[in-house]
Amino acid sequence: MRGYLRFALKRLLQLLAVVFAGISAAFFISHLSPISPVESIIGRVSGQSSYSPQAIQSLRDTLTELFGLSVPLHEQYFNFLGRFVRGDLGPSLIAFPTPAMQLVMLALPWTVGLMVVQIVIAWLVGNILGGLAGYYQNSRFLKAFGIVAIGIQPIPYYIVAFLMVIVFGFLWPVLPISGGFAMNVRPSFTPEFILSVLGHSILPASSLVIVGLGTWFLGMRALVSNIVTEDYVTYAELAGVRQQRIVFGYVIRNAMVPQLTALAMTLGAIFSGTIITEQVFAYPGLGSLLVRAVNGGDSAVVLAVSCIAIIAVATAIFLIDMIHPLLDPRVRAE
Amino acid sequence: MKHWKTLLASVIVASIGGVSIATAQDAETAAPPLTDFPRNETLIINNPEQPATNPPMFNMWVAGNGAAWSNGLHQLALDTLWFIDPDAGIDGALYNQLASEPWQYNEDFTEMTVHLREGILWSDGEEFTADDVVYTVETQIANPGMVWSAPFTEHVESVEAVDDYTVRFQLKQPNSRFHALFSVRWNGAWIMPEHVFSQVEDVMAYDFNPPVSLGPYTLNSFDPNGAWYIWEKREDWDKTAMAQWGEPAPKYVIYRSIPSTDNRLIEMVNGNLDMIHDLTPEGMFSLVEQCDTCRGWFPGFPYAHPDPTLPMVIFNTQNEMFQDKRVRWALALMLDARQISMASYRGAATLSAIAIPPTGTHPQDYHAPMQDWLIDYELDLGNGNTIKPYDPTIGVQIADMVRPQFGDDVPTDEEAIRTAFGYGWWKQDLEAATALLEAVGFTKQGNQWMQPNGEPFAFTLSTFTEGVINRMGTMIAQQWSQAGVQVTAEADPQIYPQTLPLGNFEAATAWSIETWGGDPDLSFFLDSWHSDYVVEPGERQPARNWQRWEHPELDRIIEEVRQTEFTDPHNLELGQEFVKLMVDEMPVIPVMAFNVFSAYDTRYWTGFPTAEEDPYANIVTNWANSKYILTQLEPAQ
Repeated sequence: MRGYLRFALKRLLQLLAVVFAGISAAFFISHLSPISPVESIIGRVSGQSSYSPQAIQSLRDTLTELFGLSVPLHEQYFNFLGRFVRGDLGPSLIAFPTPAMQLVMLALPWTVGLMVVQIVIAWLVGNILGGLAGYYQNSRFLKAFGIVAIGIQPIPYYIVAFLMVIVFGFLWPVLPISGGFAMNVRPSFTPEFILSVLGHSILPASSLVIVGLGTWFLGMRALVSNIVTEDYVTYAELAGVRQQRIVFGYVIRNAMVPQLTALAMTLGAIFSGTIITEQVFAYPGLGSLLVRAVNGGDSAVVLAVSCIAIIAVATAIFLIDMIHPLLDPRVRAE
Repeated sequence: MKHWKTLLASVIVASIGGVSIATAQDAETAAPPLTDFPRNETLIINNPEQPATNPPMFNMWVAGNGAAWSNGLHQLALDTLWFIDPDAGIDGALYNQLASEPWQYNEDFTEMTVHLREGILWSDGEEFTADDVVYTVETQIANPGMVWSAPFTEHVESVEAVDDYTVRFQLKQPNSRFHALFSVRWNGAWIMPEHVFSQVEDVMAYDFNPPVSLGPYTLNSFDPNGAWYIWEKREDWDKTAMAQWGEPAPKYVIYRSIPSTDNRLIEMVNGNLDMIHDLTPEGMFSLVEQCDTCRGWFPGFPYAHPDPTLPMVIFNTQNEMFQDKRVRWALALMLDARQISMASYRGAATLSAIAIPPTGTHPQDYHAPMQDWLIDYELDLGNGNTIKPYDPTIGVQIADMVRPQFGDDVPTDEEAIRTAFGYGWWKQDLEAATALLEAVGFTKQGNQWMQPNGEPFAFTLSTFTEGVINRMGTMIAQQWSQAGVQVTAEADPQIYPQTLPLGNFEAATAWSIETWGGDPDLSFFLDSWHSDYVVEPGERQPARNWQRWEHPELDRIIEEVRQTEFTDPHNLELGQEFVKLMVDEMPVIPVMAFNVFSAYDTRYWTGFPTAEEDPYANIVTNWANSKYILTQLEPAQ
């Protein structure tokens, strides 16, 4: 137990170091953008009437001061670190003075909800079917599924999403193709609203599952195909161990370790959003917010999303590291 | 195995939690049930903007706060003194909106007096008075981060409410176009409710949610993620300025943001959209095939509404390559407008050889009367020869090119062809281009033109990242490359916010000319072309003289316009002088109107404006002027 605690402490310190380095890098990278939020706003505002060069300079000075961009970069960095510790990432520069975190928290639940559900479904179904396909290599159904998975795998995601819009929105218009919920329901914890959210998520989630399933299926099938040739599997079969136990307890469990790590990495990537999904299905989420923030030079929102992503990915890896010894006796022994 | 089950259970719980969080949106945003939006009472309009960045923000007087403008806010809830329609207008293009009559200037244009309508109410029952106008101006001057702060600060010495319905502005310098700030062409300086904002501690941080409306609609509800906004007709709509033109027919108006043009098309075919802001040319052709009740501005080809905006090639005239007008003319003569029209709009472009958009009342004021001058125009090639570069038949040629595909949808009447495809354009004349370049000292090595300094004649053409302007830029770059000028088209997402204003370009396809559309006056863009506004390389150029072009004759025209009253017919003469100067100098190559493939469906509503019978308003839905359409609609069922 003491060894495990030392291991956990070491990983925790690593986590803190990674987060600090990550957010510092994110700060400087986001501030290196050639896009100036001040110039973007001047562009939009000054197009409304004739602005003289003097009027433009006056607006530029006002916005620069207002956005806190008049101080040197290193001072902005220390201000940022101070606010970060207090959980404040500053005001958005494309929605000033609304806090950047407020915008992120508005979009985040939609992305997390959609992505977690689709990733978990694709991961579970893909791994289970892939594991079975690797073990039962003569199954016609699983062979056929493998062919379909290989066939879908190279199709660009945009095409799959667009096809679903055409099929279920146009040729057989039974599912909504735009938005997160219907315009006629009240956002609240009511069955009507939850059903509306679920209904609107069917097409975006399905399109992601269809594309994501094949990756997990093919990866797991390859892993299991190797494991079934191991001596301990042959020995278990000869020893008369129940086949279900061999498949799930010996084979899939062993193959699951790298897949679990990959799952953690995939879940972490949720925070970069699903830009194409959001555009095709007009679905709310982080991806579109991030694109708008990058195009508008809004370093605060970019930083807020980056910080959440860095913390989420680092934490996910930390948790996987903590769970690994529980799943894999070899790691525990080390 | 025990741990694995625990882990699996945790993941499932987390997944359900994710869905639950997704449902935990702002419960305060109330929306009535569907039965409250019957289709025969509800008009559904496509808002071309992305879903709002800051959905609950309605204080659009503050710069950069993320408030959406085209979500119905500036069309249905805000109002100002005058509107100038880009098309014919219901009763003329000039609308006296909150003002009861046009602006009144003193003799030297240092004072403007405005008489306001009486009996106009804000949606909370408060009367609109001169105090609101005074407050709007003074508040914006006091807050430099507000949208119209800079122009008010620059021009207004003082503003006073003479009485409840009269406002008087004292101006810092003579300005015959000061009223333009309060005249809507897409947008204008909207009036703020003094009784609301004066109670607010910080007007810059105030969200103005829900907005107190001066228009005939109030906010019903909105998507917390900013994708839709629902507006409901006020019971006292007759106490708003719009009542002069009739009762808006729809009880509800919904603005939906749908980024994908394919989805817009599908939603209209499925009956879930009545008006679309913009489609691709191919999307428009497909829509009219799929939907019997759907159409565009024109009943047939080319369908699209020409905005009073002029896509063009803009040369950065501070770049040494483009400082000689013969070089600019040579580049113009290398182009084939027919190919550009086919590549960008599949032929559905409305061409313009002159620096005026061929839309609204401009063809009657400029294009038609100047045809003879254009036909007779002679260009000196610098080698002792002259040519007449104008071809008045280009529009007819394009109509003939698309007729095999679109058949009877393509007009045959010459006047209709001119309205739809434009009057004419410059003939592609590579020999003349060669003569012009050689006169400047350019030489040709193989198929590559070399500059007088021995460097290859090569540059980058910045263009839009997508759409018809991107296609236009790509085609123009190809044509120049084929003619021996190495031109690379570069898609630039920052072309308007940064590239054009900061001068970080050599040439670009965009526009620097936007007009009122419904009036021959050119001051909307021309005033900013004065040399006083041209900055040094590296500094930010104020909108809209992106070409940074200066000319003494241009300054003379602008200064004369400034001293001429808006309605004075002399403005048209000055406008035609401007056109001639632009042809002589070619600082930009005008190409075509910005044709917007707006569409509408007559399944639920009729009475929309049409190009052929009643062009009373712009159908492009993000223009505030589009609100007048609502007074002319009738339910179809």
